[in-house]
Amino acid sequence: MTLRLEELLPCFQGVTPSILATCGRDGEPNVTYVSQLFYVDAKHLALSCQFFNKTRRNLGENPHATAVVHDPRDFRAWRIQLRYLRSETSGPLFDTMAARIQVIASHTGMAGVFRLLSADVCEVVAIEPVEHLLLPEPLAFAARSDELPDGPLTELRGLQCVTERIARAPNLERLIEVALSALDEIFGFTHSMLFVPEGTECRLVALGSHGYGESGAGGEIPIGEGLVGTVAASRRMMRLAGLSGELRYGRAIREQFVRSSGGAILRPELPLPGLADAQAALALPLLAGDELVGVLAVESRDPLAFDEWDEAFLQIVGNQIATAIERLQEDEETPAPAAAPAAAAPSPVATKAAARRRFVYYRNDDCIFVDGDYLIRNVPAKILWKLLNQHRAAGQREFSNRELRLDPTLGLPAYKDNLESRLILLRRRLEAKCPEVRLVPVRRGRFALELATEIELEERATA
Amino acid sequence: VSGDRIGSELQAFLESGVSVLVGTRDRLLVPEGARGFGLRVLAEGAELEVFVPEAWGERTFANLADNGRVAVSVAQPEDHRSVQVKGSMLEIRAGGEPERAAIDRYREALIAKFSVIGFPPSLFHRLNVWPCRVVRLRVEALFEQTPGPRAGVPLAGEGAAR
Repeated sequence: MTLRLEELLPCFQGVTPSILATCGRDGEPNVTYVSQLFYVDAKHLALSCQFFNKTRRNLGENPHATAVVHDPRDFRAWRIQLRYLRSETSGPLFDTMAARIQVIASHTGMAGVFRLLSADVCEVVAIEPVEHLLLPEPLAFAARSDELPDGPLTELRGLQCVTERIARAPNLERLIEVALSALDEIFGFTHSMLFVPEGTECRLVALGSHGYGESGAGGEIPIGEGLVGTVAASRRMMRLAGLSGELRYGRAIREQFVRSSGGAILRPELPLPGLADAQAALALPLLAGDELVGVLAVESRDPLAFDEWDEAFLQIVGNQIATAIERLQEDEETPAPAAAPAAAAPSPVATKAAARRRFVYYRNDDCIFVDGDYLIRNVPAKILWKLLNQHRAAGQREFSNRELRLDPTLGLPAYKDNLESRLILLRRRLEAKCPEVRLVPVRRGRFALELATEIELEERATA
Repeated sequence: VSGDRIGSELQAFLESGVSVLVGTRDRLLVPEGARGFGLRVLAEGAELEVFVPEAWGERTFANLADNGRVAVSVAQPEDHRSVQVKGSMLEIRAGGEPERAAIDRYREALIAKFSVIGFPPSLFHRLNVWPCRVVRLRVEALFEQTPGPRAGVPLAGEGAAR
């Protein structure tokens, strides 16, 4: 084999469909598109089997297969002779491939219906270019290589810079800001989001974002659904390219399900988080030891924006962010110097503050609306309600994390309560929906409630 | 083989500028897949002609000369609607002026369909599709191939007209 499989990695990103030909024992050929061939190692590719279709039956009868793959950048093609070896129904390869399919399944409302049956592993017997496919004209597509940062020294310096900023972050809120903006500034990840697990419920909540205009904080995703939820559940990094193509494929299958099951009810399609027209996405779990402390997600409108380099790089940065989150959650109550002056700066919206804001707390689902707009729910809502009521009843202005932890009515777990994350979420939601009410850090573990408006509080049993 | 026929709705779909794949196999049952570049339905749906460019058809032509078994898959890019036709080759000949005109029309249809999903027109102008050979085959069976639980199910009664 003169050509190495590694040289064809862009062909296995799932951007341009591959052609797969097989043949039954009876000599009947079969040819079809496959949305993605999975690169396993230097000598093996895997096909994803979601249905026991003709291709799968043929491979069982006759192991020969031929794939034609395209480089999505310039459409050059290679013919790969394959020999089917085995079908794996568990193990790391199966899990990785299953998680990818789960993402598409959950986005298209087919979680649990559309799933991987097996990872069909094939040995690569030969690779050859498909000669003369394209006329010899100048390349119509720009190669991406010139957009990559130059050389290892630049990458190393950039990494050093990101590391320093992460290490210096004084609190969780700053950590998220500096980490996401450094990823953009130094490495060009223009759209990113950071999610953390929300308490004991099986959900993730966006704590910060970069590049999306508005903050996006408070957006929720159930664990196990969508790209971010799947990454949290499987604790595996996942990269999707040519997203619109994968979703079209998912929708085609969904249509078939609906037709073949007489209109069985599938869940509605989920909106993608972040960019409505994202073409590529990469998400990775942030792990501190065995514990999931968050998920970092980046997106791009370029279907080939992310590659192996991005995976490796984000893995390093992700580990540092995870360690920093863990550290900042743990030592938030130890005494520390007063917060940076910036935290106490007057709010820029103070001048046009509303004269009066009306808060309504609904006890049945622990949520707060401000002037008729949804603000926040669950533990952060209970916290805000406590602060506003104590302020009104006793004029209390300053609060400590400790007194929140000791209040059983808030329902904070005794261990790993993520209080700091909840306060950040609350702060962000107030900034977006009610900037006249601010929670300003005073020093580590203490904050002040600042009101630039009259407030009115009402509690109701149900909406 | 008695053979399915291609009904009029399916004929319209097949000739609408969908992408075409041609599957064949050699004597040792090693399969080959190649792109076709346009097709037309003949003999009231009993036959099909597929255009296969010389540039990348060498193995396909050798396999057809050996045994004549052929599968033609067509797929519509925007919704993945796909159908596979199984058949046996009746004839292979060099494409002439009518085929050249058909290929040009097919290219325009492809550009229209594929630009919807982000493929640049320049790609289709660079494909080395001429000269081509015309593979005429007898239609023996039709199968649903849209991805999903029905992929591989015979199309009789739906797209096919007996």
